[in-house]
Amino acid sequence: MSDKNDNVTLEEYENEFSYKKSKTNLNIEFNRIAFIFFIFLVISIIYSIQLLNLGSLKIKSETKPPITKKNYRADIVDRNGNYLVKTVSSIDIGINPIEVIDKKRLLINLQLIFPNKDYTKISSKLEKNKYFYLEKKISADNYEKIMLLGDKSIKSEEKLTRIYPQKNLFSHIIGQIDDDNEGISGLEKSFDEKLKKIKKPLQLTVDTDIQFLIREELIKFHSVFRSKGSTAILMNVNNGAIISMVSYPDFDLNLRETVSDVNFINRATKGVYELGSVFKTFTIAAGLEEGLIETDTKFLNLEKRLKCGKNIISEYDKKIPSDLTTEQILIRSGNIGSVRIGQKLEIDKLKSFLEKIGVLSKIDFDIEEVGEPIPFKWGKCKLATVSFGHGITTTPLQLAKGYAIIANGGFAIKPSLIKKTSENDKIKKRIIKEGVSKKINQILRKIVTTKEGTAGLANIEGYEVGGKTGTAEKAIIGGYTRKAKVNTFASIFPTSKPKYVMIVLLDEPKTSEDYIYKYKNKTGSYKGTPFNTAGWTSVEVAGKIIQRIGPILATKYIEN
Amino acid sequence: MKKVIFSTIFILILATSLVKNSTKEIEDKTFTINENIRSLKSELGDVLLEYNYLSSPNKLTQYQTQYFEKNLIKIDVTKIKKLNKKNSQIKISDFIEKTR
Repeated sequence: MSDKNDNVTLEEYENEFSYKKSKTNLNIEFNRIAFIFFIFLVISIIYSIQLLNLGSLKIKSETKPPITKKNYRADIVDRNGNYLVKTVSSIDIGINPIEVIDKKRLLINLQLIFPNKDYTKISSKLEKNKYFYLEKKISADNYEKIMLLGDKSIKSEEKLTRIYPQKNLFSHIIGQIDDDNEGISGLEKSFDEKLKKIKKPLQLTVDTDIQFLIREELIKFHSVFRSKGSTAILMNVNNGAIISMVSYPDFDLNLRETVSDVNFINRATKGVYELGSVFKTFTIAAGLEEGLIETDTKFLNLEKRLKCGKNIISEYDKKIPSDLTTEQILIRSGNIGSVRIGQKLEIDKLKSFLEKIGVLSKIDFDIEEVGEPIPFKWGKCKLATVSFGHGITTTPLQLAKGYAIIANGGFAIKPSLIKKTSENDKIKKRIIKEGVSKKINQILRKIVTTKEGTAGLANIEGYEVGGKTGTAEKAIIGGYTRKAKVNTFASIFPTSKPKYVMIVLLDEPKTSEDYIYKYKNKTGSYKGTPFNTAGWTSVEVAGKIIQRIGPILATKYIEN
Repeated sequence: MKKVIFSTIFILILATSLVKNSTKEIEDKTFTINENIRSLKSELGDVLLEYNYLSSPNKLTQYQTQYFEKNLIKIDVTKIKKLNKKNSQIKISDFIEKTR
């Protein structure tokens, strides 16, 4: 090994790991601190601005409307916003006998607060050791007094209750609720779910003032004609809005009584009746619709009696001429003439017309208490009897619907108790040919204005009332009875441009000996009811109703 | 560049925070007002119920017979008149035209 080769070269050592504050390293450190600071800042900001939604959620839960309350039910108001039903909270007081320390003392204290209660019953209830209600819907004064007793056995329960300020006035429409606040009849039942959900009150089409006036007249004539019951419906012919629907007898909803007497049924919707001659309007309208007759079509040599199977069809008015025009048949309420028109129409056409105006099948309505017209088998004799309104049944509500369609120009309507927006009313579907309405309305007016007509007592000045009467004997097993009748008057007004249809039905009225009739078409008056027909009973009631409600309808609903 | 992004985000968050805080104040005020309205609504409902009951047709007729000697009269609709004011002249016409 040579020395030359062992040369060691010494080079200056440069420490590559010497600490230098490089620009990059410095930034990393700054960013770390800044980053941590930034994270803290963001968290604090997030918290402060409540991105976690804590504050907002709290507010939301507090601002929830009382809908979440158990047993909540929306109020019900009439078309003018007057309360028909209002939910208010009430307190029920119960006693738990197990917790009573001194029974004697408790009874003495209770007697001071509620002096009219039966304390022998309360005492026996206390002995039974079973929880019982002492007072439901306690007044504020008595609540304060009873709570001041400081007895542990006295329990208070907050409940929601329904108040009906109009008492009996809308009993059939509104219906009842049970103790668990579940609707059991009327709108309370059919709108049960909606009433529990909606925030705003449910607005109806009915008018409290008109309902009151109509009910008052029905009550008055209930005693005059000693009827079993009565009903009246007032409806807007153009949109089916029911302004009034009264069925008498009725009941006070505030009493919360169980109504089991069938006489208290809603005659307007649930009562299924054979309505008689009011159906003749439909037969003639069907004839005009089919183009088979005109108002001046003559029917010559009409018999006074017709036999069809077991049935004998005869004229009520024995003086009715044998030659009549279509118009005269309706004005004079000719049975045989109506049969002839029915025969011209034949089963299919008459049936289809009656189906079209909705009198043959069950109506789809806002309340569940609706009657179903009794189904029957069509035949030659059935066609004849149906033509003048016998052997066919329907409800007064469906009769109102049928007359409304005929009067409004032939447009389909759906009777309703719920107020809708005006946009919904604009959709119109024609179901009867143009022109039929005008012809029928003119004849209906003549029934009221002419001497031959059967409804002269409804000729109230200023309202252009038109209408058709119907007197029907009630069906019994094996035939009909003359003793029990259903007298109906189906009216429309004003006939030049119909706006309202009104049905007045008296169930089993009797003649009155003392009632004084004031003639409308001529001067003078008449004492006592000469005949138990619609012309002398329901027409008089309808006339009196129109006289009373007319000014309200004419002034209040002028814009509608 | 990063500084710009960070500062933008920071400013945005700060601005959001300020806006949100002021919104919260408004929310609180709205909440208080809503609460006050709710109690007023409930009170109004009770007063309206009382009013509807006391002014119901049934009650009014009852008061009428109780406090007034004269009976209520029916209005004849044909006697209702319309007043039309045109060029400072008042024209009176029938509210409802007389029918046949």
